[in-house]
Amino acid sequence: MNTFISTLITGTANGAIFALAALGLVIVWRGAGVVNFAQMGQAMFTTYIASNLIASGNSYWLAFIVALISGSLLGMIIDLLIMRPLAHKKSSSATKTLAGTIPVIASLGILAILQALAGIFWAGEERGFPTPVNSFYFKNGDGTLPFSAFNLFVIGVVLIVLLSLTYFFTQTGAGLGMRAAALNPEVARLSGIKVSRMRTLSWAISGAAGSLAGLLITPSTNLSPNTLDLILIIAFTAAVVGGLDSPLGAVIGGLILGIGIALVTTYGSPENVFLAILFVLLAVQLIRPNGILGGKQVRRG
Amino acid sequence: MKNLMVSDLVTDYGHVRALDGVSFIANSGEITTVIGANGAGKSTLLRTISGLEKAKSGTISWGDLLITNLAPEEIVRLGVAHVPEGHAVIPTFSVLENIEMGALFRKRKNSTDVKVAISEVLDLFPRLAERVKQSAGSLSGGERQMLAISRALVSRPELLLLDEPSLGLAPLVVEQIIQSINQLCRSTGLTVLLVEQNANTALAVADHGVLLALGKVVSDQPAAKMRADSALRTAYLGY
Repeated sequence: MNTFISTLITGTANGAIFALAALGLVIVWRGAGVVNFAQMGQAMFTTYIASNLIASGNSYWLAFIVALISGSLLGMIIDLLIMRPLAHKKSSSATKTLAGTIPVIASLGILAILQALAGIFWAGEERGFPTPVNSFYFKNGDGTLPFSAFNLFVIGVVLIVLLSLTYFFTQTGAGLGMRAAALNPEVARLSGIKVSRMRTLSWAISGAAGSLAGLLITPSTNLSPNTLDLILIIAFTAAVVGGLDSPLGAVIGGLILGIGIALVTTYGSPENVFLAILFVLLAVQLIRPNGILGGKQVRRG
Repeated sequence: MKNLMVSDLVTDYGHVRALDGVSFIANSGEITTVIGANGAGKSTLLRTISGLEKAKSGTISWGDLLITNLAPEEIVRLGVAHVPEGHAVIPTFSVLENIEMGALFRKRKNSTDVKVAISEVLDLFPRLAERVKQSAGSLSGGERQMLAISRALVSRPELLLLDEPSLGLAPLVVEQIIQSINQLCRSTGLTVLLVEQNANTALAVADHGVLLALGKVVSDQPAAKMRADSALRTAYLGY
């Protein structure tokens, strides 16, 4: 029984992190129309920055905040230097049918660059990453409780982020502007909303969400230029399972995958995790091709 | 007194020359209607004025300002609001969100006036007031058109560009919407540039008529005269 509960809690905590990464993908997809394969590369990069700060004697919290800020800055830089010029480029007739995929390919290029740079700067060595609170199970007399302070910390942090993002998108002017810019850029511009600025903002928010996911997951995966690739695959699956354009769907997708992976690891064997991810993806695509909370077939151009 | 002055405007739409040297003036406080058959360039004209399409040559001046080829989000800040064709609202947004969207850019500096403007449009269109919480997608065509107009009005425009408000609506609803616009223009001094296929309805309320054919102005005269010109009607409007 204890094993089951501990599996559920670990799964929920990991699922919350996947949800965060998936949310980052959904925000950029909705806000800028790009499937961003570089997202966890950005997160890896900023987690390295945090790791270096900690290694040189700074506190975890300073590193934590610096990583989040650099995550949003990196997102903005990617948009301003690469994505915005690409979007403004007139596509020739030969590339017109492929126009939607150009930024996606660019994001793969950015991923490769970030991983290469991390290899150059930090020699690509695999290193651990600390947790701010204890990651051992709570002691309860002679036995242990089936969860750690870090599990609770992760779930709490992700919950706060989700609530503030929901508040931001539904209750503030900037959130309304971002949603309008994503859903109907023309009407948004006619309403005086600066659409390209909204896109940059969505890259910034997504970058910060990805960075946070990186900070929270690396204590259990370790940090190297490629360790977060797997998280991208899981997050992407979670986003697709949830419907790709639904933030709530991304969260549900993240939790399904987190708990599913934890159950497979505990009761099956860890090498079947990939198979399980694929199974979840196929099953959802067969039953609900647009994802659990996906809308009708609307694809922005 | 701000007039809209369009001179020698040329705009290409893809490979087609949609506007081929269009010139006219829309007088301040009046309703000017642009009529013409499908493909005459009416929508392109409005889209070029509001900045959605780039003019190839020619000028658009609004009062003392030259607004040719400014970005749409800048033009709306200068008091020119465009209601595009096809009841342009965001269906997943609530009615209130759609209206608020139009005033976002001035909310921080003028939050009290934004509230006033929102209650004014809800007074103008009571059917929207009953449905503020509903999603825009659940509205009828006429209500959506009222919503699109409301979205434009809360930006407090001095010039309203209206593209085919009657499209796909029942005659009674068209009448209602046109009358609201007319009332607004007469009571607040709003300048209106109304694009319509339904020439008869448009000329009935307008002060001035501009007839477009294949991207050129073929007639520019007081609406009442244009309405009475049966030769013009048969030649260009087919009734």
